[in-house]
Amino acid sequence: MSEERKSWEKVANMLRSRSLWMLYYCTGCGAIELPPTMTSRFDMERLGIGPMATPRQADILLITGYLSTKTLRRVIYSYEQMQSPKYIVGFGSCTLNGGIYYDSYATINKLDLYVPVDLYLAGCMPRPEAIVSGFTALMSKIDKGEANGWKEYQEKNDWYKRNQIEALGEVYVHDEFHE
Amino acid sequence: MNSMNEILGEVTTIAGELSVKEVTARESIVSVEASRLNAVLELLKRRGFSHLSLITGVDRIKDGIFEVFYTLFRWETGETLLVKSSISRDEPVISTVMHLWPTARFYERDVHEFFGIVFDGNPDLKPLILENWKEMPPMRKDFDPQKYSNEHFPDRHYEAEFLAEGGDENE
Repeated sequence: MSEERKSWEKVANMLRSRSLWMLYYCTGCGAIELPPTMTSRFDMERLGIGPMATPRQADILLITGYLSTKTLRRVIYSYEQMQSPKYIVGFGSCTLNGGIYYDSYATINKLDLYVPVDLYLAGCMPRPEAIVSGFTALMSKIDKGEANGWKEYQEKNDWYKRNQIEALGEVYVHDEFHE
Repeated sequence: MNSMNEILGEVTTIAGELSVKEVTARESIVSVEASRLNAVLELLKRRGFSHLSLITGVDRIKDGIFEVFYTLFRWETGETLLVKSSISRDEPVISTVMHLWPTARFYERDVHEFFGIVFDGNPDLKPLILENWKEMPPMRKDFDPQKYSNEHFPDRHYEAEFLAEGGDENE
């Protein structure tokens, strides 16, 4: 039974890795590297990655650049709305270790404490070549079944929630513009 | 149309001697006493500086004062005038300019949130940008962002063995 499921998953992973819809959450300056990646010069679509407008239909959540605590709340909303399997790519050094905002009172330093990150793209900013290379790496990870951040988020949900509360105080916040 | 100098001359009649600092040909900084601020701004608004671009604060912690800057713009000539006013750091209260520019509501909320300056007369001084903020206003110079970051946002720790060849292992 388990063997059968495995081989089914192998096929599923192969197909998943070849059709990725990406939601790019332009939190910071990194978003500026995406237009050349998407358009004719680097042409992301030839790799099978297309942009998607809403979290509910996307597979990849791309966090581009520094992430303030206020935006992290919205990122968590968006991530939890996405349907499994879902992958997060941390983009730029700010998501890795805080980057030049390492001492800011408003930005987090380590994205993988709060949401599961499947792949980091280092650089400030990563050039389109790095993005294309990163996505190729992500695709081969998905193909091999190694990109299991979404499963981890379910299994270690308490740990993620605890980290989120420690940094944010409260994840779900009501503000005057959304009430 | 009155020139900037004529307008500033008129301001002198209600605010006394002014210290005017010319930044460029089209931009000047004027300091005004906090008690005269509203009268001066009202006069400037009538004389063409009708656009309030920004209200912002500066923390002069060594002098024990906050400076509040009002950036005014005159569309006819493209001139910018910065009107600044100093208030005590211990009791940072200044009167609102919402009756002149209703949009000041949001600038004042912003300055109140980041410097703790109270705008007397603004009914709406609740936080604008930060969420769940419990510390002192973060743009004050005695606020330590590094300490706050260390307490709330854990850093990534790097192992020396991952450093590139020739890297400093003590880092």
